[in-house]
Amino acid sequence: MSLETRPPGEASDDAAASQAGALAPDHRDWALVASREIRVKLTDRNFLVSTGITLVLIIGLLGLQAFIAARSGATEYSVVVSSAQGEAIVGQAEAVLQAQEDDASVSVTRVGDAAAGEALVTEGDADGALTQRQGGWTLLSDGGGPAELERALADAVRQAALTANAEAAGTSVPELLSGAELTTEDVSGEDAAEEVVQIVAGILFGVLFYMASLTYGISIANSVVEEKQSRIVEILAAVIPVRALLTGKVLGNTLLAFGQMALLVGVSLIGLSFTEFDRFLPMMTEPLLWYLPFFVAGFVALACMWAAAGALASRTEDLQSTTLPLTLTLVLVFVVALNLEGAARTAGSFVPVMSTILMPMRLLEGGVGWWEPVAALAATVVFGYLTILVGSTLYRRALMQTQGRVTLRQAMRLKG
Amino acid sequence: MLEIDAVTRTYADITAVDSVSFAVPAGAMVGFVGGNGAGKTTTMRIIMGILAPDSGSVRWRGQQLNPAIRSRIGYMPEERGLYPKQPLLEQLVYLARLHGMSQRQARERITALLQRFGLGDRRADKVETLSLGNQQRGQIIAAVLGEPVALVLDEPFSGLDPAAVDQMSALLREYTAAGVPVLFSSHQLDLVDRLCDSIVVLHDGKVVANGTSAELRETGQMRYRLTVGDDAGWVRGHGGVRVLDLDGPSAVVEIEAADEAIAQQLLREALGRGSVQEFSPVRPSLSEIYRGVAA
Repeated sequence: MSLETRPPGEASDDAAASQAGALAPDHRDWALVASREIRVKLTDRNFLVSTGITLVLIIGLLGLQAFIAARSGATEYSVVVSSAQGEAIVGQAEAVLQAQEDDASVSVTRVGDAAAGEALVTEGDADGALTQRQGGWTLLSDGGGPAELERALADAVRQAALTANAEAAGTSVPELLSGAELTTEDVSGEDAAEEVVQIVAGILFGVLFYMASLTYGISIANSVVEEKQSRIVEILAAVIPVRALLTGKVLGNTLLAFGQMALLVGVSLIGLSFTEFDRFLPMMTEPLLWYLPFFVAGFVALACMWAAAGALASRTEDLQSTTLPLTLTLVLVFVVALNLEGAARTAGSFVPVMSTILMPMRLLEGGVGWWEPVAALAATVVFGYLTILVGSTLYRRALMQTQGRVTLRQAMRLKG
Repeated sequence: MLEIDAVTRTYADITAVDSVSFAVPAGAMVGFVGGNGAGKTTTMRIIMGILAPDSGSVRWRGQQLNPAIRSRIGYMPEERGLYPKQPLLEQLVYLARLHGMSQRQARERITALLQRFGLGDRRADKVETLSLGNQQRGQIIAAVLGEPVALVLDEPFSGLDPAAVDQMSALLREYTAAGVPVLFSSHQLDLVDRLCDSIVVLHDGKVVANGTSAELRETGQMRYRLTVGDDAGWVRGHGGVRVLDLDGPSAVVEIEAADEAIAQQLLREALGRGSVQEFSPVRPSLSEIYRGVAA
């Protein structure tokens, strides 16, 4: 079998050299590395299963929420009356109920007398029977009617009596009630439900970043040590610059982390729009748009350090100790971020990496100047530039040391 | 032609490679020999650009090696392996693409190489499921998949089973026949002796011998084995002769100043004393030469 090698001779050397130029790797070698990282991950069964389970959990939770809301949503009552007046009062009660719940309804059944109404109630065909006795109204029920219906009917009866009494006294209800109303005003400008949503969304953003940073950071370190441990690294380093190898790894894993986050957030938001919480979506738009660059910057700022931690190990077993400083840093950042308050919290939202957790939280709460996220992001980019310098230097120096763990001090002394 | 010119590299206070110079001509197979720590691996890593030399240079056809040319040099590191959890074909295609091949080109070439090495039906298998021998064949393919214009192989035969040694030797001969220069290091001196056109011996980071096998044997010494009918002890007293070994009727002697006349004198003396069963020049083996220069 022929090997298609170049023919011998001086001329062939020239041809080979010129062909070397034609076949030589261009500057997309990092893209090949990145696409391999992604392909390997996307064909990893563990990864697919865990992502699938997370998605199913999110969809399941939101679906359950929508299902419960749909089931308890349509409130329907039925009331039996024996007069036109009774019918009017039930109509008024329905209006009262609908003020609280759009699709509430009260059906009215007109019967000849109170006894027929009572019969329907005892047979369970109606929630209550409204009858007029001794100048007042009585609601007959079988073992106590629904509290909401009772309240609405009481309201309607009171309203009807007030109107009638006012007319008899030559005045009107609005006149009687003028100045009798107490209006309340919340000067904090906060909506309790909105506040809960802000807190939950902020924590979720933080948790997502923390999880992604940890998972994909370890994934980068793992991928580096896998190449060291399997000894393929020297074959790779002979073909492409070590810099391209590192760039491809960081890029591939950043895309994976971002993609998974976008998938989870996207599915959650779409799911949310089917629930009663959809009214909170507009207020989340701006913080979410800020969260995306913070997520990427925060992740990339640590990515090269994860690669360095991988390079300092020479077997998978060493990873736990070489990645410990980074794992601890992330845990610390996460815990401290969630516990800061007041001015310290504001200051923390400018600290690189911590800002990925705190700034979106503050943006959700509102009252943040446009320059604040910009400044925090700029600080992260500068910090990221430094960690990339340090991380890639450590990576380059420790990569070829396949005999045991390399300490930070040793790596610093090694020649490139 | 691949030229290594006065390459030096130090680690902390150790000079691993000290002004090493030699050439691998087109179509030549050059054996790189030396004990552990002699500097072979460091030299090869410098050729491949994995380590930077403190001084000196590596040239291809008179031109400083650059990444474009380096990517066309087939390399087999001493410590080698493949991704254990990735299928064989897939990762070899990945390596070929890093060498600058298109997806189609890479698939065609690697499929052909896998067939040649009897791995055609294992292409979809993960490397960790292959036998050690087949993993090594995969590594050989990894070294030559980039249509190499030169080969730099660090201990390519170490750990190979006899069948793979033959496959590897045949492969290397095909490359040299096609004009590709091949440099390989080995501890198996008999193999080096059999395969190589010339040999470079490295000791303590320095080149201590460099030449063809015949040239290295021209050590300037003249040795003869003499076997006579009875005891050969008398050779000790013969002028101009140094006895290296004496065992009853047999002796190995070195002729001083490689003077052929002294050798003939010795033979006449032996014939004068009785019967002579053997009088033959002794060629030092490569191992002996190696021990001589690397002592």
